[in-house]
Amino acid sequence: MFTIEEIRLKDVLPEVFADRAERVAASQIWLDDVAFVRGGRYLVAAESGTGKSSMCSFIYGNRKDYRGCICFDGRDIRTLSMAEWCDVRRTAISILPQELRLFPELTAYENIEIKNRLTSHCSRREIMDMLDRLEIADKAGVKAARLSVGQQQRVAIVRAMCQPFSFLFLDEPVSHLDERNNRIVGSLMQERALMQGAAIVATSVGNNIILDGEINSLSL
Amino acid sequence: MIWKLLRKNISVGQIAGYALANLVGLAIVLTALKFYADASGLLRGASDHQGREGAGSYMVISKPVSMFDTFGFGNAADGISQDEVDDIKAQPWADGVGEFTSANFGIVGAVELQGRGLRSYIFLESVPDEYLDIVPEGWHFDESAGTGAEIPVIVSKDYLSLYNYGFAPSRGMPQLSESLVSQIPITLYLTGKGHADAFRARIVGFSSRLNTIAVPQDFMDWANGRYAASEQSRPSRLIVRVAEPGDPAIDKYLSKHGYEVAGERMDQGKAAFALRLVTGVVVGIGAVISVLALFILMLSVSLLLQKNREKNAGLILLGYSPAQVSMVYFRLVALINVAVLAIAICAMLLASDAWGGLLQKVGIDSASPLMPIVAGVAVIIVITAVNFIAIRRSVARSVE
Repeated sequence: MFTIEEIRLKDVLPEVFADRAERVAASQIWLDDVAFVRGGRYLVAAESGTGKSSMCSFIYGNRKDYRGCICFDGRDIRTLSMAEWCDVRRTAISILPQELRLFPELTAYENIEIKNRLTSHCSRREIMDMLDRLEIADKAGVKAARLSVGQQQRVAIVRAMCQPFSFLFLDEPVSHLDERNNRIVGSLMQERALMQGAAIVATSVGNNIILDGEINSLSL
Repeated sequence: MIWKLLRKNISVGQIAGYALANLVGLAIVLTALKFYADASGLLRGASDHQGREGAGSYMVISKPVSMFDTFGFGNAADGISQDEVDDIKAQPWADGVGEFTSANFGIVGAVELQGRGLRSYIFLESVPDEYLDIVPEGWHFDESAGTGAEIPVIVSKDYLSLYNYGFAPSRGMPQLSESLVSQIPITLYLTGKGHADAFRARIVGFSSRLNTIAVPQDFMDWANGRYAASEQSRPSRLIVRVAEPGDPAIDKYLSKHGYEVAGERMDQGKAAFALRLVTGVVVGIGAVISVLALFILMLSVSLLLQKNREKNAGLILLGYSPAQVSMVYFRLVALINVAVLAIAICAMLLASDAWGGLLQKVGIDSASPLMPIVAGVAVIIVITAVNFIAIRRSVARSVE
């Protein structure tokens, strides 16, 4: 298990923007030098199509179509081996992808368990408590395909909590939630992040997650 | 749980098709190999009742007797020269060459049978012990006992058959078993060089390889020294151990140098060659079916991986290693292959059991099934390994 203290993006630009550099002139992330530091709270606001999900994918290692350099504590992540990426995804970075990536043929609980059995991070009781807090405990045995998008989003949030992490990346975490649920989700994630001294990096197109404390706002 | 997730797209039809095809292929290969092992025991076994390992095949060769020999002008009686023996020894197919030593003195054999005396001029020969198909107990001559020694004798099985099936029924004589014949006391009268001695003798074994009356080599050497007046003549027959009876070079050599082969040993050699050819063809057909089956499996697995591409990628993004994901597919393939192997081995054993009775009737024990089983395990390991590599590659690609 390892921790990451700082994630630095230096002169990073998605390949698709390569010939439209002027379009990202106002961005505080693309073609800039920005660091996410462990323990911080970051809100990345952006319009659609400016590359929020791309940024999350680059940092999570499932896309490499960018220029520039992304470093974990000074190490270029292009040099990470497959085994190291597995370690990162189990112990250092947790992500809530915008498309959620639940397996529709598994139940809500199984979707969480398939992650948890890899990390053994939470007990069954803890998982059920979290589901209960997000008011979907009664859906634990329902196939993900038959849940509403808002319910699926909350299942994916609980799944993201089932591992130790230094950074929690949330790609539009509350886009399908009302304000009350937004608050519940926000407090749950803050709690779990605080326990581990972790950073939260959230993106949004307007419906911001409600977080406490000092928040660094960046725009894409 | 990963299994539950990934098994969804498994095509039972394709997997069953592969299993059936590979089963047929593998069963044919294993059965053919087993049959070959059994049947080559049949060809070799005829000369090796005592199961001496690595005995190879034997043939007795001689110069043909022509009309000239009958009138004393030919050269067959001169025997086979040392040069000729050396030349045969130098052939790559000849494992060893033994010379027949004949007795150069007068021999009269006498037996007492049911009160009737029977007495006849006979002949004796000897060959080195290593060329005998049976070496009975007491097969040696005790020189210190001199003329008081009992001489063990091996006679051709054919002689007993000739008596039992030809002579005895037509003359109203009793048929004799091998063990009964062994009980009959024989007296040998050897004369020459001023000596005349009587020896007790006993038939201790029956040979299907040697068409002669054989005594131990050491006795023959001693007796020739004591009774033979003239110099020992060259042998007129040789016994040759050949490594590969089917080798066509043997045939060529023998006809070129004008040797004759006794018995049907050469036919057996040809039969062995034909057997090998037929087995080769059948194993080849089985192997082709197995290779085609392997392609079905590869296609089916790659199709499955293609259908599961997103799920594989999803698992890897959760932190599963490509090896963990591959293992699910690999286990499936390994399980099917082990089942196919087990059924193919059973089929081979059942088939061999079916013809085992027939072989038993001609006195051949079934060969050990180890060789075909090892071959089957090897084939399955290769197929599984090829699939393993293909799966690893495909899973690794699914995250790129």
